[in-house]
Amino acid sequence: MNQSFYGFLLFIFLVVPPVANFMESVMVIHMHMQMPMLVIAGFLMARFFKNRFPGFFEKWNSNGVPGILLFVIIMVYWMLPRTMDEALTTQSVEVYKFISLPFLAGVSLRDSWKKLSSFGKNSIIISFTIMFLGLGWLYIWSPVQLCNNYLVIQQVTLGWAFLTTAIGLVVYLGYNFFIDPSAYE
Amino acid sequence: MIKNKHNIISLVLVLVFGIVLFFIGTDGFSAFTVETARVKQLIDDKPKFPDVTLEDSNGRKYSISEFEDKYVFITFLYTSCTTVCPELEYNMKQVYDKVPSQYKGEDIVFLSISFDPERDDPATLNKYKDFFKSDGETWRMARVPNQRELDQLLKAFGVIVIPDEYGNFAHNSAFYLVDKKGSLVNVMDYKEINEAAKTVSNILEKGTEE
Repeated sequence: MNQSFYGFLLFIFLVVPPVANFMESVMVIHMHMQMPMLVIAGFLMARFFKNRFPGFFEKWNSNGVPGILLFVIIMVYWMLPRTMDEALTTQSVEVYKFISLPFLAGVSLRDSWKKLSSFGKNSIIISFTIMFLGLGWLYIWSPVQLCNNYLVIQQVTLGWAFLTTAIGLVVYLGYNFFIDPSAYE
Repeated sequence: MIKNKHNIISLVLVLVFGIVLFFIGTDGFSAFTVETARVKQLIDDKPKFPDVTLEDSNGRKYSISEFEDKYVFITFLYTSCTTVCPELEYNMKQVYDKVPSQYKGEDIVFLSISFDPERDDPATLNKYKDFFKSDGETWRMARVPNQRELDQLLKAFGVIVIPDEYGNFAHNSAFYLVDKKGSLVNVMDYKEINEAAKTVSNILEKGTEE
């Protein structure tokens, strides 16, 4: 039993229609639980692909930049209000979600993260922090309903989830900046 | 060096993929929410107003053919709504007031359609219409009593209505303009009163010249 297998189990669990339907019925669970869990499933399964095609990742993603860019593109794409709505109403978009998040975003994150310099890692975290602050602001204070399939109250809840996530990221960055782990060893 | 070359190739491929993905996903960077995509789609498709029976505040029953050879300016609402609908109807009233009066009833009819037929019976609609000083003739308020027909109409015009747990509905709002042959020709932002009034007046001016 290796982690690729657990990743695969998680993926199957998330795809099962009752689970998927439940998670998609609440906006904040859809974006802040289902989508990240799909990425995690891919993250775990990445080992399988890396063992299977070791040359591929080494050749095409040796410095990790293309991989992390792919990760960012997929993540930003799924944060558009429209794509989240369409995943609920259009079958092909839903299928694309279940493929792109684990296999494009999750796998490439696993392969790329370790290859990045600490400067690269911090820039990615800082960009996501800024993006989450922006999205939080958008979803909370937007005068219009952005998603047709969810109530406005759910939209506001999602906005606060983005803001709290951003605060979490800021705490992490601060910790990273001020605390030297070797001092405690 | 070789390694770097591969990296650059894959970086470019990923970038191209990203641009194509966003281009397709947002209809060429123009529609970032489903609502804008919906409006674009409706204006392209020009769906016909389905053959449904309307029942207005005077209890009269008719289909859309009642308004043959007239433009119909439509909004969707429910009278128990306390948030968007009063604003929507108030804005509709302002458009109604701005459209030159010689056209009203002759070339254009205003119609507010309720998607809550259970509560919005003719008596309720009649009371509601008085709040907005609608005359019940050139601006009518009506419900679609048959739920199946109502769903058909909402689907055709892309109106999404989600009931919440307090007996309210979340719904998208817009001004809809149906032409003399019963096809939807324009969907306008219900907050842009002047623009909507101008668009409608222009269409009416052109329509009567011919």
